[in-house]
Amino acid sequence: MTPVALARAPWPDPYLNVDDYDPEADLMVINLGPQHPSTHGVFRVVLYLDGEIIIKAIPHPGYLHRGVEKLCEKLTYAQITPIVDKNDYVAPMLNEQAVNMAFEKMLGVEVPLRARYMRTILAEIQRVASHLLWLGTFAMDLGGALGGGTSVFMYCFRERESILNLFEDLTGCRFHYNTHTVGGQRHDIPAGWAAKVHQTLEAISQRIPEYETMLEHPIFVRRTKGVGVIDADLALELGLTGPLLRASGVDHDLRRDAPYHIYDQLKDLAVAVESEGDCMARYKVRVKELRESIRIARMLIDNVPEGPISGGRPIKQPGQFKAKGGQVYVGIETPRGELGTYLIAGGGKMGDTPYRLKIRPPSLHALACVPYVFPGHSLSDAVAILGSLDPIMGEVDR
Amino acid sequence: MSESENNTRELAFRRLLRAQFGVEGEPEAPLPDDGPLVAREHHKALAKALQAAGWRLYVTCAATHFPAVPGKKPTDATTPECFEVATVLRSVGPGTHVARWRVKLAADETIDSLVRVFVGADWQEREQFDLVGVIFAGHPDLRRLMMPEDWVGHPLRRDYAIDTPHAPWR
Amino acid sequence: MTDTLEELMLNPVIRALFWGLVMVTAVMTVTAWTTWFERKFAGRMQSRMGPTLVGPAGLLQPLADAAKLLQKEDLIPDSADRFLFNLAPILTVGFALGVAAVVPFTPDILAADLDVGVLWLLALSGLMVFPTWLGSWASNNKYSLISAMRAVAQGISYEVPMVLAIMVPVIMTGTLSLSDIVADQVKNGWLIYRMPFTGFFAFLVFFLAGLAEANRIPFDIPEAESELVAGPTTEYTGMKFGLFYMAEYIHTLLSSAICAAVFFGGWDGPFAPGLHWMLAKSVLLFVFLTWVRWSFLRFRSDQLMDICWKYAVPATLALIPITALYTVWHGGAR
Repeated sequence: MTPVALARAPWPDPYLNVDDYDPEADLMVINLGPQHPSTHGVFRVVLYLDGEIIIKAIPHPGYLHRGVEKLCEKLTYAQITPIVDKNDYVAPMLNEQAVNMAFEKMLGVEVPLRARYMRTILAEIQRVASHLLWLGTFAMDLGGALGGGTSVFMYCFRERESILNLFEDLTGCRFHYNTHTVGGQRHDIPAGWAAKVHQTLEAISQRIPEYETMLEHPIFVRRTKGVGVIDADLALELGLTGPLLRASGVDHDLRRDAPYHIYDQLKDLAVAVESEGDCMARYKVRVKELRESIRIARMLIDNVPEGPISGGRPIKQPGQFKAKGGQVYVGIETPRGELGTYLIAGGGKMGDTPYRLKIRPPSLHALACVPYVFPGHSLSDAVAILGSLDPIMGEVDR
Repeated sequence: MSESENNTRELAFRRLLRAQFGVEGEPEAPLPDDGPLVAREHHKALAKALQAAGWRLYVTCAATHFPAVPGKKPTDATTPECFEVATVLRSVGPGTHVARWRVKLAADETIDSLVRVFVGADWQEREQFDLVGVIFAGHPDLRRLMMPEDWVGHPLRRDYAIDTPHAPWR
Repeated sequence: MTDTLEELMLNPVIRALFWGLVMVTAVMTVTAWTTWFERKFAGRMQSRMGPTLVGPAGLLQPLADAAKLLQKEDLIPDSADRFLFNLAPILTVGFALGVAAVVPFTPDILAADLDVGVLWLLALSGLMVFPTWLGSWASNNKYSLISAMRAVAQGISYEVPMVLAIMVPVIMTGTLSLSDIVADQVKNGWLIYRMPFTGFFAFLVFFLAGLAEANRIPFDIPEAESELVAGPTTEYTGMKFGLFYMAEYIHTLLSSAICAAVFFGGWDGPFAPGLHWMLAKSVLLFVFLTWVRWSFLRFRSDQLMDICWKYAVPATLALIPITALYTVWHGGAR
């Protein structure tokens, strides 16, 4: 691959003072959040408005900071899984997988094939649930809580509910599953689960066209096309990953490019790429991924091999796993992008807890693009853009 | 295809580190599992070189605090307090390669900020500054990101007790 | 006794007061249960139940809502202008109800048979912008202020196509009195299908403008709760908020009623009494409005202006000369 020359686009510089843009402008400063209907949690942006056009946006995350990384330093490797469930509370399965894969790499634990199949299936079903939730909330951002947006929202939640039922059958929990452990799974597939998965996913895939007809009318197109364009250079530099990066025209998907679980056996994994980089492109990418994830999950559920579901011994005492010390980085593809885990393990006496666990949340980078993308758009567009970024504040603030 | 791509990149990364950034060893010998240690004056230049060579996706940086460890016997020298900043970059597309390296810092040293190379480094470095207390020199907007602005101390330091009181929160 | 009552009713002041009272009570009651209907309708559309708990099928829900709103603490922000802040909700309901005065339900049930009913109607819906602006400005809140700017821009812009659209029926029937417009339709056929079919297009524009004036999705830009929290009513609590809410529903109901009267022949219809026909037509139009509301997303304010000035106004400007020429060609109205 030849080195690519970096064409620095004329992005607004977020570090300039407002006065540097236009000292004469009579700007209104408005505080979007932390309590606001469409900030998806507690996110605060200070907007400088000229009329309704945003001149400068200063984001302030951190209202949901809970010190997860600090807590992880006090917990043994087997105890961390339920804590990280609460990070990206829309896709907890992927959080569990991310940390456990880092632990497995560090501790040298082999994951049996059946568990790897199960992880792949769970990840894909979780991706469907997460994208459905995004679709509903995005429609709500565009259409308001008292209009067509809510209708789409309700439909999407109905489907997501059926997926949560699947997870409940498997793990006993609807939300914070705690089903992954170091070396495998805690819960085996119950009898008849595969048929239920088929049934649920079939129902969802039949209803996706309904949402598309409901959403893709002129109003939706006018609200999303050309709104919030992020070009590929900016996306890469910002560290945007997942659907945001692919919507900007970069063909990059860790499931295909750095395969983990059993993704290396899926030769026909289709990666959705759009080149426009606007809200419409992000919507298209996510809907395509919805279909692809349903296809993969349904394809794999019939081929799960028999065997043990955990490579580790049954957990009897908390300090069962002892690390020798070292540093690993593991990144996996969640519905929001690359969820990385940078693990620094202590050795010897400190071998049973992580010395330092750094979680790389994709949503943090997604929100970091706010100062670059908001300026020049109106307040209504800002809400649409924020919705299309799909930020989960629990993950951003940790 | 992707495997070989990954291999080529790994070799290129090794050669780059050894040729220009003072990492010891044969040009194409494997790097340590924990990631290569790079001198702190090379940090920014390395990031720039990697970006030009195709590692265009900024992934993360993680700062770690290592408190001073007293010697085993009273006569032994104390290991001084230090920090370590690990940076992770990625090349995009099939066969994506992770380039990561570490920089060791003494307690009073700063590290160059990467904001002017990768704008995505902005919040990651602010977060590390906030939680660990590493100063990123040249960062245009080095404020706390997670903790309240008037918070005292840096919670992710190893010697920061988990129940440290802080009015009015606790 | 009966004679005195009839004599009393002949007195125009007494008559106006009587019908005014009846009309206000009826409209307010209907409005309250309209909210129940809309919630039920939306619930069914979204595969959920809607209100079920208060009364049979949740029918007493509006009463519960009213009781809840009355119990709420009446908050007035410190920095608000108290007088204007309190005045705005009263005005908004007042103006909305004022429109009801000229709506011809039947030849008899009509609070005020004004000769210039159309003008009265347009004037009052034009005034609807004022209380919104007043309330937003008085609450001294930035979100309210932005929404007020949007509301004024939207209200004033859509006043233009509305006026132009309603000129088409006026030209075709040759009168400004709403009851005469209906009477003409009873005689010569509904305006919606009467030659030269300009009535149909005028109805579309008028309906669109009515949607915009009532701030309903897809034109609920001033309220835009995903952007502006609650728009003009952000700082209002309790029954003051309830009044704004009610005014929106009254406005929607009455625009359906006026559309039914002006374009769909009002009380005209076979078999059943006129009032039934009028109410049925209004309710059908209202259901259509609700259906639109719960199906569509929201426009952006500049796109809304585009629709108004680039499509609706030119269209109506073309409709008027066509209608006028046709009417003159056929020997004038009537």
